[in-house]
Amino acid sequence: MTFQNRRTLLKNLGLSAAAAPFVLGLPSFASAAVDEDRRERKQRLIIMFSPNGTIPKNFWPDQAGRDFQLKEILSPLEPFKNQTLILKGISNKVRGDGDSHMRGMSCLLTGIELFPGNIQGGSHTPAGWAKGISIDQEIANFLQSREATRTRFGTLHLGVVVPDRADPWTRMSYGGPNQPIAPIDDPYQVFNKLYGNIGERAAVRSILDEVAADLARVRQHVSSEDRRLLEQHEAFVHKMQQDLVAQQEQKAAQGVPKLAPGIKNDNDNMPTLSKMQIDLLVSSLLNDMNRVATLQFSRSVGQSRMTWLGIDETYHTLSHQSDDNEDSQEKMTKINKWFCEQLAYLAGQLAATPEPGGSGSMLDNTTIVWTNELGKGNNHTLDNIPFVMVGGGLGFDMGRSLQLGNVAHNRLLLALAHAFGHELETFGNPQLCSGGVLTGLA
Amino acid sequence: MCANFSCRMTLALGLTLSLLASSLGAGEELPGAPIYARKCAACHGAAGEGVAGKYDDALYGERTLAELVRIIDETMPHEKAEECTGTEAVQVGQYMYQTFYTAQARARHKPPRIELTRLTIPQYENSVADLIATFLGHRPISDKRGLQATYYDDRRFAGDKKRLTRVDPQVDFHFGTKSPGENMRDGEFSIRWEGSLIVDVTGEYEIGVHSENGFQLWINEMTEPLIDGYVAAGPDPTLRSATIKLLGGRSYQLKLEYFKFKDKTASVQLRWKPPHKVWQLIPERHLTPDRSAPAYVATAPFPPDDSSLGYPRGSAVSQEWDEATTMAAVELVNKTVRHLDMLAKTNKDAADYEQQVKKNCATLPEPAFRRPFNDVHRPAFLDGPFADQNDTVAAVKRSILLALKSPFFLYPHLPQDTGRDAYDTAAHIALATWDSLPDAALLQAAAQGQLTSREQVRTHARRLASDPRAEAKLRSFFAHWLQLDQTEHVAKDNQTFTGFDESLISDLRTSLELFLDTIIRSETADYRELLLAKEVFANDRLAEFYGLEVPADGRFHRIPFGAEERAGVITHPYMLASLSYTHTTSPIHRGVFAARKLLNRPLNPPPMAIEFTDVGFDPHLTMREMVAELTKAEACQGCHRIINPLGFSLENFDATGRFRTIEKEQPVNAVSDYELADGETVHLTGARDLAEFAANSKAAQLGFIEQLFHHTVKQPAAAYGESTLEDLHRAFVDSQYNIRELLVEIVVTTAQVPAD
Repeated sequence: MTFQNRRTLLKNLGLSAAAAPFVLGLPSFASAAVDEDRRERKQRLIIMFSPNGTIPKNFWPDQAGRDFQLKEILSPLEPFKNQTLILKGISNKVRGDGDSHMRGMSCLLTGIELFPGNIQGGSHTPAGWAKGISIDQEIANFLQSREATRTRFGTLHLGVVVPDRADPWTRMSYGGPNQPIAPIDDPYQVFNKLYGNIGERAAVRSILDEVAADLARVRQHVSSEDRRLLEQHEAFVHKMQQDLVAQQEQKAAQGVPKLAPGIKNDNDNMPTLSKMQIDLLVSSLLNDMNRVATLQFSRSVGQSRMTWLGIDETYHTLSHQSDDNEDSQEKMTKINKWFCEQLAYLAGQLAATPEPGGSGSMLDNTTIVWTNELGKGNNHTLDNIPFVMVGGGLGFDMGRSLQLGNVAHNRLLLALAHAFGHELETFGNPQLCSGGVLTGLA
Repeated sequence: MCANFSCRMTLALGLTLSLLASSLGAGEELPGAPIYARKCAACHGAAGEGVAGKYDDALYGERTLAELVRIIDETMPHEKAEECTGTEAVQVGQYMYQTFYTAQARARHKPPRIELTRLTIPQYENSVADLIATFLGHRPISDKRGLQATYYDDRRFAGDKKRLTRVDPQVDFHFGTKSPGENMRDGEFSIRWEGSLIVDVTGEYEIGVHSENGFQLWINEMTEPLIDGYVAAGPDPTLRSATIKLLGGRSYQLKLEYFKFKDKTASVQLRWKPPHKVWQLIPERHLTPDRSAPAYVATAPFPPDDSSLGYPRGSAVSQEWDEATTMAAVELVNKTVRHLDMLAKTNKDAADYEQQVKKNCATLPEPAFRRPFNDVHRPAFLDGPFADQNDTVAAVKRSILLALKSPFFLYPHLPQDTGRDAYDTAAHIALATWDSLPDAALLQAAAQGQLTSREQVRTHARRLASDPRAEAKLRSFFAHWLQLDQTEHVAKDNQTFTGFDESLISDLRTSLELFLDTIIRSETADYRELLLAKEVFANDRLAEFYGLEVPADGRFHRIPFGAEERAGVITHPYMLASLSYTHTTSPIHRGVFAARKLLNRPLNPPPMAIEFTDVGFDPHLTMREMVAELTKAEACQGCHRIINPLGFSLENFDATGRFRTIEKEQPVNAVSDYELADGETVHLTGARDLAEFAANSKAAQLGFIEQLFHHTVKQPAAAYGESTLEDLHRAFVDSQYNIRELLVEIVVTTAQVPAD
């Protein structure tokens, strides 16, 4: 009997889900009834980022439509070709302060300008953080606001060898204006976050009321400007309280990855770290701890040195070489193909895992969006930003290569939200949403 | 950093500023105010903030007053340019300039304030380390260096087989098939090295023992070896290593037990790989035979502190940060419980064990509050938890967790219910000077009312400033000032620069750090010495590459280095190399560094990107000629007029910092004219002139003071009054430019006690 049938059965009997355990005498049914409320398909979104633009001639398919050939960089997606959607012609049209890498990164998911600031890039005016929330957070907030789609974390932000610095080149997710969210690039820290010791958490839970009360008390003694900081802090304390309660209620976790111990978080371990983070990400989704995630490789202007591909130059430096430098074009192609292999590994892991409590695989209910802060590294263009989607989470019509004409990426961000039933009219800078949600995807 | 430093136009002054400035008086309304209100405010807003739909952008900028006046005169009001000209235009310009146009004017009207901040990452790490140190004790180390060694004619360190004790400068022995000395057998012996590891910089350290024999190595945590190499890895020597996080400005107890038993040969080396360096022997200067007290090092990772104002500060909180404080607190709790008896000096077998723990542990969290427990703390930490529970260990856990999550620990300047008192002053002195908790002497001074005058504050600040923890803070300031914390790749093209390899780069960094340490520790701590020194620290590897002579003992020696052409940090080869491309020098990177960091010359942001590339240039052109050609456009010259002469003055040093007089078969031209903000010109004949100018320029000195201020206090200097930097400058000059004294004065100025 599937959950669906059981629900129909209960309906026919004229019984509510709450009464079910008594009727059927099944002790496990109480939790199944909760699942039943969430029975509508679980939709998930993963946004994967790799930096410094692509090599267009080895990336974009020449053909539009269903009949297209994958080029060298995208060739790892061959096994998933009919679940792949390639979107050429999406441009980040956000202007204002900050160099192209900064805006490419911090406006990528926010679709809104950066605050003036004093982080100076290689060109343009200096800038600060983004002025608004990012789409991953927007969607997660929407999902968290509804009982049926609420999860323990809502979102997870994982990184792979992200340099330890907080600046607009290094953050793409924002909780709101001036609220950058740091990705966690230490797999052991992620593991602790997901599966950390329950006993310690009970001790933490026991003191949080007092911490919150202290914060509330001292608020009165500080100026209104300083009060904001303490109020924010208090909100995080409450969030942790909820998180601990949610964790306690969570059923025994399945598919917990075993991490190899002592892997150093450095450039040379990037392939191993990537796999560890992807495994952790898949396990968090499997256990329904979150429905939205980001996976950030390095950062914009990232200087990864991919020695395991036989490349000794640093990535960002390579990306500045001109189009007629064949050596660097070849290396850039290799690097981007390596990122695509990580995407393919993630897609493969999801495809190999049956959807818990549902039908098909997890990939059928997850869409991975792979993107970049630039269209092309050597001219720093924000036009034709790489956007490749894999998987069925958003219900888009996959197995196509689309060639759109210079569409503002805000309209694509809107489409991501609409796919979750969150029908925003605008997102980010409203002027860049003219034309409304990008259609033709579903 | 990209290589693009193009720029915006700054027009020469058409009118003299003195003429314009003559009518500006303080307090009175400027004649331009009513004119602005009548003719400009409708589109630009009452304070230049802009009006939506009319003119959105704020009238904030960096044009000169003269240029501003010219624009008003010729173009404003929009499409009615004739309505505001001549004297009126000048008056409006003056009003705008004085009231809101410049950053300084806006700062005057909304002065920066002292913001509530939380502990930064180093402050958190040092505070919890010293919280535990309050119980474990703090044993300062002496000037003795090396490790205490005991040699045994036996593999088990048997007391009656002791044959020799001495201090070994480092552990680097190749015994071959022989014994280490007389009265010891070739086939079986053991050696124990004891003392402490002296650490300058916070970070992850890889520590390893290279040997074919058996050994165990303990660091800091003496109950469990960091590396257990008891089983020999022979027949050939191998490196067995582990990673450990250590805080700078502290030392850590170390013990290495090594033995040979039936192995064919014997050798042992104690090595490490410090942050930013390559694997090497742990040098004598980082070892001491003194035994340090155990230190607590938090390893929970924190998200990086906000650096959006150019220096890390605790001005923002986030969920990741809140979670990190929880993880760090849990980590400390677990460690405390594991070592409870050591901390509390209790004995598990004692009949009154619970009472003992209660008595000795109840005050464990007290230092976190930087003041004695008061009526607010007592119920939460003493009466409550220990009264309710039979499980005393659980009560200890709870009270430590509560203390480390308390806002009063995390926000060190949070006002008490009872208002500001001497303990706040003590907390400030400790935090500003060594990023940590006040020590017993400071708390005592606060209790006795002896922190009420500047002189009293100064005495304590001076005492703290000579502690290794304060040295570590100064060291991290220099790393920030010289951008060492951002330097990722100094490597050069190895075809062009044979021998400039990772080991050499690592040694160069050590050479620079030794130089900075010498300044920090010297009696005079002279800022001018920093810029003008004519010596360099070199070992044999550096000496060979740079054509110097030192004793071939592997150590660093301070030796004369290019007295005519070199000067202090700016010509240190590590700096010159990190401010270069892989094949060539980069006068632009060097010039920007000199302008922004040494001379305190603000550069406007470049409006367009031009990637530097030597492709397309005549291959015979020198670097100077190419840069001059590339930046010749008038739009570039606004800044490159400043950047290029500074960068060109360093052209006598190639991309590895070697002195040169020839580039591409042409003589190097390092002569340039540097134009000051006031239009005066300084003739520079090379690096030495540049350094002399930087050392003596008041603007440069003010810039240095401000950067140290930010690093120390983590608040804007202007929040402490407009004249803060000027006052500090006077004190700096009076102290003969003593950097340590400057740190002390910064602490005194910001301690909020009445002036002497």
